[in-house]
Amino acid sequence: MMASSYNAKEEDGHPSGASGHGGPGVVKSKKPDNTAFKQQRLPAWQPILTAGTVLPAFFVIGLIFIPIGIGLYVTSNNIKEFEIDYTGVNMDSPCYTCAKNFSWNNTTPCTCSVDFTLKQPFESNVFMYYGLSNFYQNHRRYVKSRDDSQLNGGRSLTDPSKECEPYRKNDELPIAPCGAIANSLFNDTLELFHIDSNGSRNAIPLVKKGIAWWTDKHVKFRNPGGNSNLTQAFLGTTKPVNWRKPVYELDPSDPENNGFINEDFIVWMRTAALPTFRKLYRIIQKKSSTTPTLPSGKYTLDIIYNYPVLSFDGRKRMILSTISWMGGKNPFLGIAYITVGSICFFLGVVLLIIHHKYDTRNNSADIPN
Amino acid sequence: MTWRSPLALMRDALRGQRARDKELRNLVSNLPYEGLDKAKQPNRHFPSNAIKTTKYTLLLFIPMNLFEQFHRLANIYFVGLAILNFIPVVNAFQPEVALIPICVILSLTAMKDAWEDFRRYQSDRKLNNTPCLIYSKEKQFMERRWKDVRVGDFVKVVCNEIVPADLLLLHTSDPNSVCHIETANLDGETNLKQRTVVSGFLFEPESFTGVVVCEKPNNNLNHFKCYEKPDKERAGAGIESLLLRGCTVRNTDHAVGFVVYAHETKSMLNNNGSRYKRSKLERKLNIDVIFCVILLFAMCLVGALHFLWLQALPGIPPYLVPDSSGHLDGPSLSSFYTFFTMIILLQILIPISLYVSVELVKIGQIFFITNDTDLFDEETDSRMQCKALNITEDLGQIEYIFSDKTGTLTENKMVFRRCSIMGTEYPHKENIRLAVLGEPESEEEVIFNQRPQSLQTGWSLDAEDTTPRDTTQRRGSRHRSKVAGIAQSDVAFSSPLETEVIPDKKLLQQISRAESSSGSRKTDPYLDFFLALAICNTVVVSMATAQRRRSDNLRYEAESPDEAALVYAAKAYGFILLARTPDSVTVRLPSGEDLVFKVLDTLAFDSNRKRMSVLVQHPITKEYVLYTKGADYAIMELLGTPYAQHHLDCYAKEGLRTLCVTKKVVSAKVYESWLVDRQRALAAIDNREELIMDTAVQLETNLSLLATGIEDRLQENVPDTIMALREAGIQVWVLTGDKPETAVNIGYACRLLEEEDLLVIDGRTLTMALSPDLQERFVDLAKRCRSVLCCRVTPLQKSRVVKVIREKLKVMTLAVDGANDVNMIQAADIGIGISGQEGMQAVMASDFAISRFRHLKKLLLVHGHWCYTRLANMIIYFFYKNVAYVNLLFWYQFFCGFSGTAMIDYWLMIFFNLFFTSAPPVMFGIMDKDVSAELLLGVPELYRTGQGAYTFSTFWVSILDAFYQSLVCFFIPYLAYQDSDIDIFTFGTPLNTVSLFTILLHLSIEIKAWTVVHWVIMLGSVALYFVVTLAYSAICVTCNPPSNPYWILQSQMADPMFYLVCLISTVVALLPYTFHVMRNSIAPSPIVQARHLDRLDPSEREQWIKEWRSF
Repeated sequence: MMASSYNAKEEDGHPSGASGHGGPGVVKSKKPDNTAFKQQRLPAWQPILTAGTVLPAFFVIGLIFIPIGIGLYVTSNNIKEFEIDYTGVNMDSPCYTCAKNFSWNNTTPCTCSVDFTLKQPFESNVFMYYGLSNFYQNHRRYVKSRDDSQLNGGRSLTDPSKECEPYRKNDELPIAPCGAIANSLFNDTLELFHIDSNGSRNAIPLVKKGIAWWTDKHVKFRNPGGNSNLTQAFLGTTKPVNWRKPVYELDPSDPENNGFINEDFIVWMRTAALPTFRKLYRIIQKKSSTTPTLPSGKYTLDIIYNYPVLSFDGRKRMILSTISWMGGKNPFLGIAYITVGSICFFLGVVLLIIHHKYDTRNNSADIPN
Repeated sequence: MTWRSPLALMRDALRGQRARDKELRNLVSNLPYEGLDKAKQPNRHFPSNAIKTTKYTLLLFIPMNLFEQFHRLANIYFVGLAILNFIPVVNAFQPEVALIPICVILSLTAMKDAWEDFRRYQSDRKLNNTPCLIYSKEKQFMERRWKDVRVGDFVKVVCNEIVPADLLLLHTSDPNSVCHIETANLDGETNLKQRTVVSGFLFEPESFTGVVVCEKPNNNLNHFKCYEKPDKERAGAGIESLLLRGCTVRNTDHAVGFVVYAHETKSMLNNNGSRYKRSKLERKLNIDVIFCVILLFAMCLVGALHFLWLQALPGIPPYLVPDSSGHLDGPSLSSFYTFFTMIILLQILIPISLYVSVELVKIGQIFFITNDTDLFDEETDSRMQCKALNITEDLGQIEYIFSDKTGTLTENKMVFRRCSIMGTEYPHKENIRLAVLGEPESEEEVIFNQRPQSLQTGWSLDAEDTTPRDTTQRRGSRHRSKVAGIAQSDVAFSSPLETEVIPDKKLLQQISRAESSSGSRKTDPYLDFFLALAICNTVVVSMATAQRRRSDNLRYEAESPDEAALVYAAKAYGFILLARTPDSVTVRLPSGEDLVFKVLDTLAFDSNRKRMSVLVQHPITKEYVLYTKGADYAIMELLGTPYAQHHLDCYAKEGLRTLCVTKKVVSAKVYESWLVDRQRALAAIDNREELIMDTAVQLETNLSLLATGIEDRLQENVPDTIMALREAGIQVWVLTGDKPETAVNIGYACRLLEEEDLLVIDGRTLTMALSPDLQERFVDLAKRCRSVLCCRVTPLQKSRVVKVIREKLKVMTLAVDGANDVNMIQAADIGIGISGQEGMQAVMASDFAISRFRHLKKLLLVHGHWCYTRLANMIIYFFYKNVAYVNLLFWYQFFCGFSGTAMIDYWLMIFFNLFFTSAPPVMFGIMDKDVSAELLLGVPELYRTGQGAYTFSTFWVSILDAFYQSLVCFFIPYLAYQDSDIDIFTFGTPLNTVSLFTILLHLSIEIKAWTVVHWVIMLGSVALYFVVTLAYSAICVTCNPPSNPYWILQSQMADPMFYLVCLISTVVALLPYTFHVMRNSIAPSPIVQARHLDRLDPSEREQWIKEWRSF
């Protein structure tokens, strides 16, 4: 269609030059320009992929990848990570009762404690995560079920986006924050205690600031109204159905951490990419250079068990991890680099052999008939 | 305008409809009605002369253009998907956003269409406002514009003006009532043609009260019939009295005509746009698109596994979102929805921009082909023309070439070489020497210096008593209509070559002997022979032009080169054709006397009779003499006296084209009775052509022979071209109307026949061979022969041969023709016209037009190879690219419960396809160069090996590769980010980046030659990706929910993991190319070997090619 009318002019059958046929006119040769571009003779680099030409690349890749891989692997191994599942699926698990007797409407929270032992001390800052398995935060309709302009303090506070349905309005009152993501906010409370040698419980201070992205906390999420009185700002809205308290009372301890800019909320709203995920919960800061952040020994995790996961065969975990420049513990990348580097090195050797055996012959190649 | 009742209007409209549809139209002059209401105009039903070639109107452009575009299935598919996205339960993206790609594609195409239509509008307007002269009430011609011309007007056209509408010629300034026209605008023929005034008509516009009855408009340029009813008798007129719109009036001061067709002119009806051919590659492409659709459905069905996943859930998890009423769909219904969501999500598996890109690539390829200086012919100043715009890649797929001889392999510049008169051979040895030297210019001096001295003879001049008689003789012989180079409109077969006849001394003596003895008024065969050469033709003598001929400023405008050759030959012997009018021919004899022959009739050439005759009355003897000229076999069967075939055979063996000239004296009685039949035939309006032909055959009997041989030289480099084409694995067939001997001779000359496995077949045998029961065996036999030569075949047979081979062997065929075998050209997959000396019809009907046969070599071996490999690789790459990218989304479905989530921001997905990765493949398709032109020409065998670039297996290998790469691009980041706190769109960022790098690097490996353009576009694409994505991530806080990729790329780019993931994924994705590398080293394909040779410096390369050739 497009091509067929490329030179429409000639095909229209118009006598071309209706008026000027007789005119003298300078006869201009139609000879095409003899330019390198038009004659397709632009200078070109014409690489041919043969063993000889690519084998340096393979060796270079091998030489670069293997050290990177070793570095990654070592770094990953140096990361200390501790993980404990507190779902309470088994009868002997401390949270079994809480898990069984769950209802969103429970007024009295169910609590349970899990004991664990750290065999090695955690030296640097420790990140405390909660992990969920089999939770499809990436489900299409779930992902959509939010109103970012509401969360940004926009006008849609009282008229949330239709994407939030059916968590848009409750009893004719707009829900703030609306949508299924907010509605299913993770609401277990985790507290960590160190058990002394003498058996006393020392609460470990958990920092809840700085767990969200800086840009989320300061740009993407904003409270409406701008006035400091959040109760006033959220007037005319109602809390999500599953929530126990409204959004402006999420963190009674810190008035700056309430409303849409509550960091736990922000972290939850950044929906996980994969069904098994962890989310940063608290940070345990290193206090002094002499004592480890978390010395080895016995610990107790106190859980206010609010969040049901058995309906989807899910698991809940608490993870303690130190962190490096490459993030959390993951030996995969290191192993992958070492493997690929080795393969490339090996292929390089194979290509070297091939090059010696065949490539010299190519230059005297006779083209087969 | 006065008010008229709707009923009257409707009645009038119906009447108009009826008037237009009638087989015969009655037209009257507008003059008496001038100034009256439109309703009172008798010719109001016929359309005015304003033309409108635009497809669209301003108001209706959008609906009409959309309607046009929706003829393409792919567009409907994408619009359907976009609409599907508006259904809330299945939508994968924001509905408005999903419309963007299809809107971009549609509006790009619409913009291009609008621009083209605007250009048409401009040229229409220019044409409609061209001034012309129309006779008005004021009894004079008034200046009006073309669009004002109406049926029934009298229009005056002056010299060098273009005829505004189809005019019935009523008056000319020429005393012989003829008007010369040039039809270059219609058919490219630059020779002059004569048109004659309708006989028996006195031109007085005011008193023109008759009714012109003419047929319904049709598109036959060579046929027209009408008669007038000037109340008295029916006077017929045909095409010889019709001035066609678009012709130019030449050599005639002015002419006046009656408008019979305005707007529905023959030239307009002939203009039916360009043809649409679907290339072989495109057909394959469509099949693969269907495979993609199947693949898409399979993937979507996998998506419907959602169902199983849902059923495995023990309860209702918080992440399943019910609909607004709080109701959650059951597993099966939700799977059903998921299926459609997946179709929307994975839709770009069918590449939306593929068709547009293919068209862009073809435009680019055509640009390069037409701009190739090697395909430019200096002599005629003509470039290669691509008429069919979408089959360039088929040039690289040719397996069979069918070629005509005359004008294709040969120059079709005829030179009189030998003749045989009364059984005596006059070999004209001097001419042979000249031809061998082949330096015409330097020989010019020799040409005329041997002009025989004028001899006094007793012949007296006869005053011509020409009575105006109805004549139809000037029916242009339309078989060999012809053109001399497009650019040199002032030269028609008058280049020096044809005139180079050096008279044979023996023959000169014979003539002078005959002349001196013809005082007795006896006709002598020698004189007759040359008189026949001078008379028996339709050559027009033109004197009005510049003094190109030296002594005598005669210029001959012949419709076929052999006619010109014969006239020039006669001239060389002193028989000079001085003038030709419809009624007489003036010939100057060697003695210096001018003889005026009265032309009684001309029986024009037609391809059935293969001969033409002129019936003249000898001014001295008053005998009626019929001179006939034609192909030897067309004449032989009519000979009254048997004639030794010997000389003719001998000529044919030398590769000369043989023509026979005959003479017959017709008695007055026979003539009279024949004339009655002839008149009846001419006046007939039905079957006129057949009747006229019958009468011609009637007269052409019992002829007596004079013979001649004409040489048609081979074009330069023909043998070399044919050799190269055959080395390229192409079978070359020559189909010619010549005698077997001539054909075989030419075959040897052009190195077509050097093998033993040769099949020569003549027309009659071919008829049998092509009969249904023998077809199979014929094709089987032909397949085994290295060369096939068909001689004495008719145009119809040529096209049948092509058709049979094409259909039975399922091969790509190409037909080359230099004249007018339109049938053959259209029967083949590709028709190539050679715009040479003769016949523009072939060029008009062809897909590609070249000016020399040798251009075929570069056109096929280089451009064909390039176009095909480029396009094939580009298409494969396109499929690969889309599958590789879409599969990322597909793999993700296994981790999001088959819910149809995209982890890449939708805008970025659109941009990815529309901007970041679209220019490189288009550039690749236009500019890639696997092997240099020199090598492709030097080693024609590469042509064959290049033909397998796009096959079933290459397609599936690339799809598999795409699957592998997408697996790598997905699972390496997946494993690296497993069980981390990464969010959806952050996870999508490395995936998107990795696939961009993989896709572009994959192309980089495929690109065989990197020029500046390549570097700019490839690096530009990567830069564009980062700039656009960074900018978008910096701006979009809440602009595109739910992704809103605010600061995502920025934070990723600050994270070393991102680079490490991208690096390893890209390397692993491209690792399979190692096999490719090993194959290139261990068992390199011919193309790879050729590329090795290409890297040598030119002299060394020459050496290699030569060395290789010697095997």
